[in-house]
Amino acid sequence: MQHIYRQIQADPRFHELERKRGRFGWTLAIIVLANCLWYMGATAFFPDLAFARLWGEPLTEGGSTTWGIVIGFAQTVVFILLVGLYIYRANTEFDNLKDAIVADARRAAGE
Amino acid sequence: MPGSLKKRTVHHWARLGAPVGLAAPFAAQAAEPGKGLNPVAVGMFTVFVAVTLVVTYWAARRTRTTRDFFAAGGQISGFQNGLAIAGDFMSAATFLGVTALIFDFGFDGLIYVVGGIAGWPIVLFLLSERLKNLGKFTFADAVSMRLASTPLRTLAATGSLFAVVLYLIGQMVGAGKLIEVLFGIEYQAAVITIGILMVLYVSFGGMIATTWVQIIKATLLLAGGSILSWLVMQRFGFSFDALLREATAHHAQGDGMLRPGLMTHDPVSTLSLGTTLVLGTAGLPHILMRFFTVPSAVEARRSVFFATGFIGYFYLLIFVLGFGAIALVTREAGYFDAATGKLIGGGNMAAIHLSHAVGGDVFLGFISAVCFATILAVVSGLTLSGASAISHDLYTNVFRPHATEQEAVRVSKIAALGLGALAVMLGLLFEAQNVAYMVLLAFSIGASVNFPLLFFAMYWKEFTTRGALLGGIMGLTVAVGGIVFGPTVWVDLLGHESPLFPWKYPALFALAASVTGSIVGSLCDRGPRATRERAAFAAQYVRSQTGLGAEGASVH
Repeated sequence: MQHIYRQIQADPRFHELERKRGRFGWTLAIIVLANCLWYMGATAFFPDLAFARLWGEPLTEGGSTTWGIVIGFAQTVVFILLVGLYIYRANTEFDNLKDAIVADARRAAGE
Repeated sequence: MPGSLKKRTVHHWARLGAPVGLAAPFAAQAAEPGKGLNPVAVGMFTVFVAVTLVVTYWAARRTRTTRDFFAAGGQISGFQNGLAIAGDFMSAATFLGVTALIFDFGFDGLIYVVGGIAGWPIVLFLLSERLKNLGKFTFADAVSMRLASTPLRTLAATGSLFAVVLYLIGQMVGAGKLIEVLFGIEYQAAVITIGILMVLYVSFGGMIATTWVQIIKATLLLAGGSILSWLVMQRFGFSFDALLREATAHHAQGDGMLRPGLMTHDPVSTLSLGTTLVLGTAGLPHILMRFFTVPSAVEARRSVFFATGFIGYFYLLIFVLGFGAIALVTREAGYFDAATGKLIGGGNMAAIHLSHAVGGDVFLGFISAVCFATILAVVSGLTLSGASAISHDLYTNVFRPHATEQEAVRVSKIAALGLGALAVMLGLLFEAQNVAYMVLLAFSIGASVNFPLLFFAMYWKEFTTRGALLGGIMGLTVAVGGIVFGPTVWVDLLGHESPLFPWKYPALFALAASVTGSIVGSLCDRGPRATRERAAFAAQYVRSQTGLGAEGASVH
């Protein structure tokens, strides 16, 4: 197995794969964490900031649903969409690239 | 006013992820509100037990190898595994505890809901695939791949067992109290029943049975929550706005509960709690173990997608239930203790009372049975992961490297029995104690020991055995010390005046200690073993990225 690993290591497409996937994964992770920090942290750190106060405002005049509730639900939906987005790209682009790299490395190794 | 709110906050936070918060409020209560044996609850639960025992029999006949026992033969689909992961996550604590949080604090409960879901995308983007590609049965496999196996597995197994046993005690005590109230049976009988059933599931059916018990329970819980929410929304003509209007009319804080800030203003606590929730979940061994039950990285990804979807949906339901409880339970004097003015059975009973308010005794029985099933499924998952740490990590890989498969499976069964007996004994021993801190500690260990170990092992080339040991031990020390000398144990339990460690959640500090230890220990490690370990990173990296050489995986 070691020689196939070396073969793959030498393949420039492998580094392209790792770079693309790494950047994509970290970007999405940071979006999620930032959303969390923004949402959880705002009340703790800056309760007086305008947007933190906006959460207490009703969505429609005279209604009871506040912006904060809508944004909270929206966060959940955004998380699920981001998960879907990652999986879509991983299943198509990344996996295709990975399969091609592995197949070539095996062929070169004479398997 | 702020003072009294803050004091309440401590108790409510303990509930989150902490079924054991259940323990204290129930202690003083007799068999209210089930008013003795609830026939619907008992009947429903009997059906659940019968079905799961049949499943266990079926699973036992399919369990021959260690791979069957620990990883369900790698034959669980992404959808099934997603449901099972969601089931592990949706404990009675989430169902009852988070509903209670919203019942008391309104909007602020939603902040915790968002934190609770956010862990899953992170697991997918950074961990799940690599974990699946590197590991075999436990996360220690991935950690010890290029590092010294004996000390690392010992460390990882210690972290796992600590977390599992603490979590088990918490669940046992909380469950015993809950069942005492809901079913009207003795505490001892409840704890022993749970102990016997979980040992049966785990030792005979292994991961296959444990997974299916979890899937059945998750389905029941999602169905129960959906019906309950539907009944609540029906009362308000399916208008969320009308529900909120009614709720604000009954809540002590009125409109205030629809705005943030009722619960917390302390930034350090909020961050540390966030760390506990997000990373603690990602570091609990019984959840990590689930990624080895699917056949491929593609299915591992699908698992997270379904898990996130189910958990997200479940939390939305809980939000409706929390506000529904404010609107429909608060106005019925019958749900409150006339003398104290508190909710009968304790704060965690909001969801249970709500089920009675909208569906009467029959629906109350159904929801009670679902809660019992939930507890049972979660403790089974915990027991299995504890047994795998003992058998796979310690016995097979440290003490008896040449153990046969049959031997490993036999040791697991004995370990499951031992863990079950231990959990029952400790559950009985801690009956009168408030054990909320134990679950808190379990999550803190997950966040500050298991998670950084796994993360560094997979991502950092320079990481060595010495760094892992130093980081792991430092993280464990700070997590345990922070809890013991913090407000929960030092003040509430031991009765000291003020805590030596001022924060309730040590996870943030324990994580910092663990990361520092790992980095310093690794960089100072210049021996020949360290050089070998660094050199081995390249091959491990290729495997983690491609799945080539992964256990039981089919690479095309």
